[in-house]
Amino acid sequence: METLKILYVEDDQRAAGEFQELAAVRGDVVAWERTGSGGLLRAGMEQFDVIILDRMLGDLDGLTILRRLRESGVGTPVLMLSALGRTSDRAEGLDAGADDYLAKPFEPEELMARLRALCRRASGREHSAVILYGAFECHVKARTAFRQNRHLPLSPREFGLFRYFMENAGEVVTREMLLRDVWNMCFDPQTNVVDVNVGRLRRKLEEGFATPALETIWGSGYRLLDGR
Amino acid sequence: MAVRRSIFSRIVALAILLSLALVSGLWVLTDQTIRVTLEGSARKAVDVDLAGLADIHASSGREELERRIRDRLAITPVDGAAPHYLLADANGARIVGDIAAWPKLDADISESGTIRIGKGTTAFARATRLGPDLQLIVAREPADGGALLRRVMLVFLAGGALFMALVGGLGRLAAGRLHWRIERINDAFRDPEEGRLPPPGGSSKGDEIDELTAHSVAAIARQKRLIEAYRETSDQVAHEIRTPLMHLDGRLTKALAAGTDEPITTHLIGARTDIKRLVAMLESLLDIAASKARQGDRHGLRPVDLSDLVTRICELYADSAEESGHDFGWTVEPGVIFRGEEVQLSQLVTNLLDNAFKYVPAGGRVRLSLASGPVLAVEDDGPGVPEGDREKIFDRFYRSRATEADLPGSGLGLALARAIAERHELTIGLDPSAKGARFVIRGEG
Repeated sequence: METLKILYVEDDQRAAGEFQELAAVRGDVVAWERTGSGGLLRAGMEQFDVIILDRMLGDLDGLTILRRLRESGVGTPVLMLSALGRTSDRAEGLDAGADDYLAKPFEPEELMARLRALCRRASGREHSAVILYGAFECHVKARTAFRQNRHLPLSPREFGLFRYFMENAGEVVTREMLLRDVWNMCFDPQTNVVDVNVGRLRRKLEEGFATPALETIWGSGYRLLDGR
Repeated sequence: MAVRRSIFSRIVALAILLSLALVSGLWVLTDQTIRVTLEGSARKAVDVDLAGLADIHASSGREELERRIRDRLAITPVDGAAPHYLLADANGARIVGDIAAWPKLDADISESGTIRIGKGTTAFARATRLGPDLQLIVAREPADGGALLRRVMLVFLAGGALFMALVGGLGRLAAGRLHWRIERINDAFRDPEEGRLPPPGGSSKGDEIDELTAHSVAAIARQKRLIEAYRETSDQVAHEIRTPLMHLDGRLTKALAAGTDEPITTHLIGARTDIKRLVAMLESLLDIAASKARQGDRHGLRPVDLSDLVTRICELYADSAEESGHDFGWTVEPGVIFRGEEVQLSQLVTNLLDNAFKYVPAGGRVRLSLASGPVLAVEDDGPGVPEGDREKIFDRFYRSRATEADLPGSGLGLALARAIAERHELTIGLDPSAKGARFVIRGEG
């Protein structure tokens, strides 16, 4: 797993400490800025893989920082972090040019998963005709899937889900990411609809095989295993 | 914006009509006055002439009178008001004069009147008796007033047109200025974010509209302050509650990662679920408040393909409906576009579906339909809603059905659905149905 260089603009010292702890486990490099102006300065001077921006900072509003960054031509993916979880706030953040928006409190795994998904999207690595991971094959154009060279009979909906797991192979994929990227919904219905859809896919992927295909990360998400 | 009839254009039209009536009236009056004056002068001339001729008859006798009448008939007057005479005997037979026959005028009482002379010419005439066998008529055509009347008409036409153009122009100018001032206030209310009105007491002249402007500025500012205060407070509440919850959740996560004892793990996971539920409830409450505060505010709404959105949601629910043993189907009319906030509209639809799947037991039917209007209906054949609860179920924290059935939930789902519907100028309610419940969302248009 590659490591990321992350700029984290956050005025809550405790949250920043926890995040740094988490990032250190994965080997990511975190540059922490306590103020909005400091973050703005740093983002302009150094190259980062991704920027995490708290929406409510002591000196500058997160949205303002984001607008200034985009105006000055900094195209680094930005994940907006906020205690404001209302639907209108999310829409506002995304409108202002944020690539993703995560409401506090969040699962640490969710944040890490989203950061990696953001970087992958930014590098455009997901657009290939055949995606290979472990024993799995995903033929994007033909819309067919294989595990250990055996064809998997997936419905169109299941194939869409499978393809997304393949694009994010080996990484944690959260419910919100699935909702947003597979069903194009930036809103979590708070019921188990996503889990049911993933459960069905899991059954198809595991039927007749001895080893599990999908791992549940308790709390929030799933990870595709190599299937060997 | 809808086409409205402006009060100002009506006032200008009225002013033009009034001035038209005024000018026409003045013209008719002037015309009549001129005609009466001309007739009066003809009458006077006849009387003077008649008196003169009577004098001649009295002093110089009948021959002299005949001679004078012939003299006068031989002269053509310069003003065109030619005199006419008839000297006749008692039977009306002509002795001298240019009037062919004796008209119906009684000479004994010196009767006067309008008589006909030749074809189409009329004249004012007076008859008088000069002797037992002698009577005289003097008549005079009125002076030629045609030219004068035509001149007067021309003056009135030109002057009137100028006057009306002036009234119209000035009226439009004044009305335009008034319209602009009123429209500025309307604009400010239509779009309070823009702040187009000047601060009160600026270049104020102190008339009624200035006062109205000042009131409007104050009202808009007050509205803005209220919304800002509301946002600030709710943002702070959200921030102050969510941040410690996040830390608490972090601690629970660490505890879970460290210990593996079974009962403790179960409790910890339960605690995390509770935290999530608490956050969800807080979000719902804030969403309800925000939706209510923004009711009627069209700001931030953009066209959403409802058909596409609803289809996506139905597809998402299809598998879970099958899993829970529900018969779920949907009919979506393509191309239904509606101005709204996409996230909120998804929430509205999912809340209705969640509600249906929650109350309808396994084996039950749930149907969703979307038609233009928009009209969105979610129908089921579950236990339905008692008559008395049909409005109450949209209240916050009202969950009698859920308590009876011992189902989880915050009691905010339908309240939020209603708040979102109303924020989008949609109505939501329960339609009467034979069996189960039928929730319908309708556009007001």
